[in-house]
Amino acid sequence: MNYELVCGLETHVELSTKTKIFCSCTTEFGGEPNTHCCPICIGLPGTLPKLNRTVVEYAVMAGLATHCEINPDARMDRKNYCYPDLPKAYQISEYDQPLCRNGWVQLKSGKKIRLTRIHIEEDAGKLVHERGNTLIDYNRSGVPLIEIVSEPDIRSIEEATEYVETLQTTMRYLGVSDCKMQEGSLRCDVNISVRSKGSRQLGTRTEIKNMNSFSHMTKAMEYEMNRQIDLLESGEKVVQETRRYDESTGCTEGMRGKEDADDYRYFRDPDLVPIHVSKEMLASIQARMPEDPQKRLERFEREYSLTEADAALLIERRRAADYFEAAAKGTKNPRTVANCITGQIFARLGTDAAKDDFQVNVSPENLNALLRLLDAGKIRTSQMKAVLEKMLDTGKPASAFLSEKDLAGISPEELQKLCEKAAADNPNAVKDYRAGKEKALKAVLGAVMKTTHGQANPMEAQKILAEIMKA
Amino acid sequence: MVTHEEILKIANLAKLSVSPEELDGLTKDMNKMIGFADTINAASEGAGSFDSAGGLSNVFREDQVVPSCRREKILGNAPCTEGGYFLVRRRS
Repeated sequence: MNYELVCGLETHVELSTKTKIFCSCTTEFGGEPNTHCCPICIGLPGTLPKLNRTVVEYAVMAGLATHCEINPDARMDRKNYCYPDLPKAYQISEYDQPLCRNGWVQLKSGKKIRLTRIHIEEDAGKLVHERGNTLIDYNRSGVPLIEIVSEPDIRSIEEATEYVETLQTTMRYLGVSDCKMQEGSLRCDVNISVRSKGSRQLGTRTEIKNMNSFSHMTKAMEYEMNRQIDLLESGEKVVQETRRYDESTGCTEGMRGKEDADDYRYFRDPDLVPIHVSKEMLASIQARMPEDPQKRLERFEREYSLTEADAALLIERRRAADYFEAAAKGTKNPRTVANCITGQIFARLGTDAAKDDFQVNVSPENLNALLRLLDAGKIRTSQMKAVLEKMLDTGKPASAFLSEKDLAGISPEELQKLCEKAAADNPNAVKDYRAGKEKALKAVLGAVMKTTHGQANPMEAQKILAEIMKA
Repeated sequence: MVTHEEILKIANLAKLSVSPEELDGLTKDMNKMIGFADTINAASEGAGSFDSAGGLSNVFREDQVVPSCRREKILGNAPCTEGGYFLVRRRS
């Protein structure tokens, strides 16, 4: 029989706020164990949570960017379960009144993956299992998360990957998360079932927890899909359960002791008041959202005459796109600015992560100043590139590498003299040219460029030489 | 009415072990507690909903870091620690 995959994802995204969701401890990644903690985030009795405004704002931005309806009256609930990574023995989350509902994410094929909801919640601490004992670090406890829940609309592993990548790009663009899978700031739980192709009924699903890399996700989904198909083929049934992916064996295995939704005994957190997203609040958040990447792409093509490929390279990374706009301001040829970024600057940054961070020691203003020199004809493209390299080496402005003489350029009179001299120095070339060998002019032009160290305007020089040599 | 099976399930969720002798007593206590909640339910008619404390909403904190506690303080009450971590020993 032919089978098809039916998959929905729960994606946890750590928000890049400065502080935790309910206390003012830092959310910085790493740090010595238990040094980013206070009585609130280690769940001491008598403490009270106070909600971080930015968490609400970021979650609403995430919702708006994924076409969700924003719930004007969201509530926070306690989700009870006993595990040492959760010091209060409950997690504060949102149950029946999440902040965002009914959104969608569009794949390149045009297919929309519907989102059921996005809610805010707190992350748990980190457990290190060692020699049968467990060590606990609560630095991550209380770090704000959004959980993005999709409908079971995904039909292939490729779609699942593209869906997560799209979320990653969107959240990074918004600046609400760095979405680094390797640091755990983006993690997925994958719900999988299989059914015979064409069937409209859903099969029994399993959930694979905590996928923290694309390659693990792909392998785990492949394994789990085949496992389920094998079960059905041999006349057995898939048991609804939560499974763990074992990287070393490449298999998924059942986890015991998983609670049902009822067992979490959700109830309103009496320590927290409702979140009311008023029209004014919504408008103020909307106003602070960056331009939609797709619209920005189209604008870059239109406003700066960039090719789609160049525009896409810049848009992919918000910081690069912002840098481009600052550097291109008032320049005659924005394409050159784009080329400087996607060429020389990207080459310096090297890795994808560095391109994302876009820490460049040349300010966009300094690049702008350099390109204005090019626009004014004071320097030529090759010179501009060489100076940019030096600027990238040192962080100094262009003026540090261009002398007064360089910038003054070569006057028309001076150029005339230089051309005359070059023609006199190359009588053979002149003879050839007069005999109809047009190429001979290039040799003389080369000589002019050489004596001026490339500073002469080759078009001007060519004109002058043609005049001199034809006589 | 709460049954013995339900008590065992709740105990399991709370990671507690319950001996057969304790079962009757716990079931009786649980029923009393549930009964108390029934009283509250009956009284809360018209008393306003529980989840909108005083009609307040949007009590927010600004996103500004305040230094965390010293680790010795954080770990101060822990029965076991190791290398700056809380330590949970394996149950033998």
